[in-house]
Amino acid sequence: MRAIAAVARSTFRETIREKLLFLVAAYGLVLMVSTWILSPLSVGAARDKIVVDVGLAGISLFGVLTAIMIGGALVHKEIDKKAVYLVLTRPVSRGEYLVGKFAGIMGAIGSLVGLMAVLLVLIMLAGRVEITRVLFAAVALSLVEIAVIAAVVVFFSTFTTPILTSFFTIGVFIAGSLGSDLRAFAQKFGGAAMQRTMDAMYFALPNLTVFNLRSEAVHGLRLTAFEFFAAVLYGTVYAGAMLYFAWLVLRRREFA
Amino acid sequence: MEALRVDDVRKSFRGDLSLRRREVLRGVSLWAEAGEILGFLGPNGAGKTTTIKIILGLLRPDSGSATIFGAPAGGRDAARRIGYLPETPYFHPHLSLREFLEFCGVLSGLSGAGLRGRIGETIDLVGLGPHAGRRLRGFSKGMLQRAGLAQAILHDPDLLVLDEPFSGLDPLGRKTVRDILVDLKGRGRTIFFSSHILPDMEALCDRTAIIREGTVTRSVTLDEIYRLGEGRVEVTARGCAPGTAHDLADYVESAQCSGGETFLLVRRQEFVRTVIQHLYRSGAEVLEVTNHHPSLEEVFLDEFAIRPSPGGTDPAKSRAVGAGAEGRAS
Repeated sequence: MRAIAAVARSTFRETIREKLLFLVAAYGLVLMVSTWILSPLSVGAARDKIVVDVGLAGISLFGVLTAIMIGGALVHKEIDKKAVYLVLTRPVSRGEYLVGKFAGIMGAIGSLVGLMAVLLVLIMLAGRVEITRVLFAAVALSLVEIAVIAAVVVFFSTFTTPILTSFFTIGVFIAGSLGSDLRAFAQKFGGAAMQRTMDAMYFALPNLTVFNLRSEAVHGLRLTAFEFFAAVLYGTVYAGAMLYFAWLVLRRREFA
Repeated sequence: MEALRVDDVRKSFRGDLSLRRREVLRGVSLWAEAGEILGFLGPNGAGKTTTIKIILGLLRPDSGSATIFGAPAGGRDAARRIGYLPETPYFHPHLSLREFLEFCGVLSGLSGAGLRGRIGETIDLVGLGPHAGRRLRGFSKGMLQRAGLAQAILHDPDLLVLDEPFSGLDPLGRKTVRDILVDLKGRGRTIFFSSHILPDMEALCDRTAIIREGTVTRSVTLDEIYRLGEGRVEVTARGCAPGTAHDLADYVESAQCSGGETFLLVRRQEFVRTVIQHLYRSGAEVLEVTNHHPSLEEVFLDEFAIRPSPGGTDPAKSRAVGAGAEGRAS
């Protein structure tokens, strides 16, 4: 456990000292502030909905982008530049190393998401927009979604380059966000082969739509505790499975 | 007690575009007794780093085995007792030296006041005290090498595995590292290191294993190196007549001229009198007669059948190596 914490702390420090993180954070914050500035163009309830919708979308998008851009490079660079030797030649298992890396990446991205969420709440308070519990649930599920994507990034980065990791993970993100729609489309209009392919993709890739509560937050729809915790459990299991596959790859990997 | 044992290890790799496997290690065997300094010597591509990675568990052998104090290489028990310095160290550039050592110390099982104390001691030992708070990003190559040594010895391991520990160091840095290694040996630690800097290796090692094309072809102690030269004598003379070397060809193994002096390596002890008499008769002045011991470099070159060209070696160095058994004959 101490080894995991040490790797996580080092990764967290490395991530928050990355200039790229500041750039992403700056873009996210600018996006949110611009929502506030532009919202007077619309009136009443529509204005409130824009603030919430764009704010939550910004948190999700910039969190996922950070995971893809920084996470993949971090793990691959350590392996490529042999910094990983310093860890793996000590009494530290490869599983502990992977979990520590993942925890460090999530710690840094979690801080970014927290910062953006605080800013969103401040903007909503300033604009007298109603703050509901669903808003916080939406932010929490965005974090779970980012954790799933970060685990996918860690998995790919154990055996491929940062560019390919980004490419594959963006593919997973897009397919995961549209998986339900594509499956429904195939069931309605596709042949048997198409349906089987879409079914396979639907079950193999993460269904990211379960983490998207923007509609509920924007329109003030109800969210049950079961729906929320089921999504958290699904995300945790999926991220855990990706880390397990990453461990299977790293366990067999040799460092020539 | 054996600190390190490598038994008949074989390792091959497949090329990026080729299906054929290239055998890098062809049955490497070596061992190091506890408290010994074992040097690992070989040309580029001979298999030194591959052997070291197998000892560390970063690579798995195709066949054969490696053990650290009896524990299989790559396991936790073995890793607890090892300190490792990689050949071209890349350390986390975003961390300060103190943060970096804290990270390494925790991974090695240190904590609390004990860890903080060891960090301070180790930083001072490698001479980086004034730079403890600086990020590694701004370190020079030599400073990184010292930082690498610091992380390797931080947890006071029983076995140090060092891949080219003198690389990138200035003379002062080399002396610091040599002193640290001698001190560690004095405290019973075992050191296994590869290096291309033969004088450092010769000065430090109890024994040297020479690897060639994936096989350890020779393992020599310093005493054995000295014994290799037994019976051979070097005569230094001034004012030798042209053709002296030719006249003495039956008695002299090599003759080199430098700064008006001629250095003659006599083949056998009983030829010394003949050589000296010939020199006197030809009007030369005999300056010195010394027992000749080959340097580790000469043993290494001999192993690879690379003979120095006439005048190519530094005679002063040969004399320095043999200085311990020096004796004037006339």
